[in-house]
Amino acid sequence: MAAGGKQEAAPFGRHLKCKDLHQYLQGLPVSVLDKLYGHPATCFAVFRELPELAKHFVMRTLFAEQPLPETLVNAWVKKEQQNFCTGALNRLKQLRIWRVVTGWSQTRYELNPTFRSNLKIALCGGGQPWCGVADDLGPDRHSKDKEFLDKYALERWEAVLHFMTGSSPPDGTVGISADVVQVLLVSGLMKSDEQEQSPMITPSGFQFLLMDASSQIWYFMLKYLDMVEARGMNLVECLSFLFQLNFSTFGKDYPTDNMSDSQLRFLQHLREIGLVFQRKRKSRRYYPTKLVINLAAAGSGSMTTASEGVEGFIVVETNYRVYVYTDSPLQVALVGLFAEIICRFPKFCVAVLTRGSVSQALLSGITADQVLHFLRTRAHPEMLKKTPVIPANIADQIRLWELEKCRMQMTEGVLYNQFLSMSDFETLRKYAEDLGVLIWANSNKRVMIVSKSGHDDVKKFWKRQKPRE
Amino acid sequence: MAEDTFRRLLVVVCDLSPIWWGKQAANASENSDKMQPINAFLNNVLVFCNAHLMMKHTNELAIVCATSSKSQFIYPCPEDVSDANGEESYGNMDGKYEHFATMNNVVVDKVKNIIEEESADDVNLPENSATLLAGALSMTLCYIRQAERNCPVGQSMKARILVLKGSQDVSTQYMATMNCIFAAQKNNVTIDSCLLMSDSGFLQQASDITGGVYFKITKMESLLQYLLWMFLPDPNTRESLVMPGAVQIDYRAACFCHRTLVDIGFVCSVCLSIYCQLLPRCHTCQTRFKLPSAAMTRPKKKKKEKTAD
Repeated sequence: MAAGGKQEAAPFGRHLKCKDLHQYLQGLPVSVLDKLYGHPATCFAVFRELPELAKHFVMRTLFAEQPLPETLVNAWVKKEQQNFCTGALNRLKQLRIWRVVTGWSQTRYELNPTFRSNLKIALCGGGQPWCGVADDLGPDRHSKDKEFLDKYALERWEAVLHFMTGSSPPDGTVGISADVVQVLLVSGLMKSDEQEQSPMITPSGFQFLLMDASSQIWYFMLKYLDMVEARGMNLVECLSFLFQLNFSTFGKDYPTDNMSDSQLRFLQHLREIGLVFQRKRKSRRYYPTKLVINLAAAGSGSMTTASEGVEGFIVVETNYRVYVYTDSPLQVALVGLFAEIICRFPKFCVAVLTRGSVSQALLSGITADQVLHFLRTRAHPEMLKKTPVIPANIADQIRLWELEKCRMQMTEGVLYNQFLSMSDFETLRKYAEDLGVLIWANSNKRVMIVSKSGHDDVKKFWKRQKPRE
Repeated sequence: MAEDTFRRLLVVVCDLSPIWWGKQAANASENSDKMQPINAFLNNVLVFCNAHLMMKHTNELAIVCATSSKSQFIYPCPEDVSDANGEESYGNMDGKYEHFATMNNVVVDKVKNIIEEESADDVNLPENSATLLAGALSMTLCYIRQAERNCPVGQSMKARILVLKGSQDVSTQYMATMNCIFAAQKNNVTIDSCLLMSDSGFLQQASDITGGVYFKITKMESLLQYLLWMFLPDPNTRESLVMPGAVQIDYRAACFCHRTLVDIGFVCSVCLSIYCQLLPRCHTCQTRFKLPSAAMTRPKKKKKEKTAD
């Protein structure tokens, strides 16, 4: 699917790219997009991810009912910042939040009426409650505290990661279902071999493991949502439910009443990967966990340090030593991807970054930036007090090791040689150069190399050229 | 405009002076049977606060109310943290975002309490009693300092204050207010001021010194639009937006002896205290000044010495 196409497009330095919310929404069909704005939570999430200026544009027109001329909007922004203004306008148009109104002498914009009314509901109240009224349920006899929810969420999500690494999860936690495995396979994070029963992790899978938890979940959810319709579930309902969870309160329970079948199935999948807690499958209430709250912001790939609530545990010293304060075999295994582990204690282990270990990681498809991002997002609170968080010499050295790998670049091409005259050589070289397919040429030896895709054109040109002379 | 990673804290200081709001209510009741002005004002401010929280999930908010007898934090209020059950009682009955609904309910309840208290014990309040703006500002500055210190490691916070004020300035508060303004300037806190119906010299200076926006609203009906247009963008975003031009700023100072605003006064050469009349001794630093006649002769003497050299 999408991931497969991407991999073909960029065969060299294949990089796992995480779309943000807007890129995802822009890829959706127009009809779906219009339906999505029917829920306040979606409008809210979309609004929050808009560029700063666009947010103010929306706020300024939220209570103004008549269409605005484009010149007026441009006059809001200072002259030297006009390019931001056009950027914001384009984004608003792409997402169909602002639409062009016809029937006026100049271009005028109007806020999408559905978007307007639902954003107003989120902001000032009115309309239907987001998710049923919880009062008739009464207090939960099995109510859970925040620590329990945190622990539960982490456990479930780590089970997925454990499955990916192929290591057995610690003492008797349940495995993961076929649905989740299918998402991992389709997204290209894992592939199944013909001979072997269990799927194997791919290079993009390694990159996935090194992302921070919220980006991982966001990426996973995007791939999951791609498959939602194939499973006969309603994409719009699932998306609005996801956004509703995104804005829910941590530690509070919500009722499952008034939810559609698609949403109930979706809830079961979310429950499996630890985004919500539901005591029993039939239980009439669920608790969102920290993993799902503010999820929509994760895709924007902000370089924020350790995600909120999760304590960092890695210390990197200038002498290439890495100290890992954790008892999770998964995290140790992840550090082991790019560092050599020299001693292991309960709850603590020491590793060292060497040229060998880092190049090993680079060979398996991980980039230097991903290694650094991994270290930065899981940095110990003591490390976070320093700027830069990772010692400069370590960051530079890891990048240098990556550059070493890039010293030689392979490009396929076709060699043209044994030209009879200099003029022949020059015409052909010039033609290839104009087409942009010339890779290398040496006029002394009358030798040139043309890329494989351009070979046909150049050959035809040469055949046409020949008889005339 | 690079995406900034600061947490943004907005502290809204509301003037709830009972006398001023009482006058507004009296005016309004003459015209028609519209909503009470304070209700309309509170609704507008709450929508504005929601809008601020809506901009980014890291945005934070605090609300301080100032009356003529005390200043009080109404959101986040320290008492409510202890009993979590109190918060549960506000059931979410409509499509408003939960956090907004909870916050708005807390604020409305607190404001009601404040108004009831005020009306209970201050019946015989003097007509010209002033809103404790300086007190509210200093509480706000302390809160901002604390919030900055409690910020999670690796993140930093930028704070600004929005003052919503209707009642008149009182020159007795000149010293305290100016001290707050300079403290805010030193801590890089921007003070925006939104004046309801009448100008304020103090806040003109406050906004000018700290680089904030000063604006006087003449129509209360359009309060929300003005708030969203001018006071919602943070200082970083304002750089790229066209903002209203600067107003003529009243830089008059209040003298230290009678607390009256003076155009031209006497300034102590040692401690820069301002007086409206000549005094033989500065009240602040106890420096003695020579009489004008004696002072006239001294510079001449010096001049002669110089020419001799």
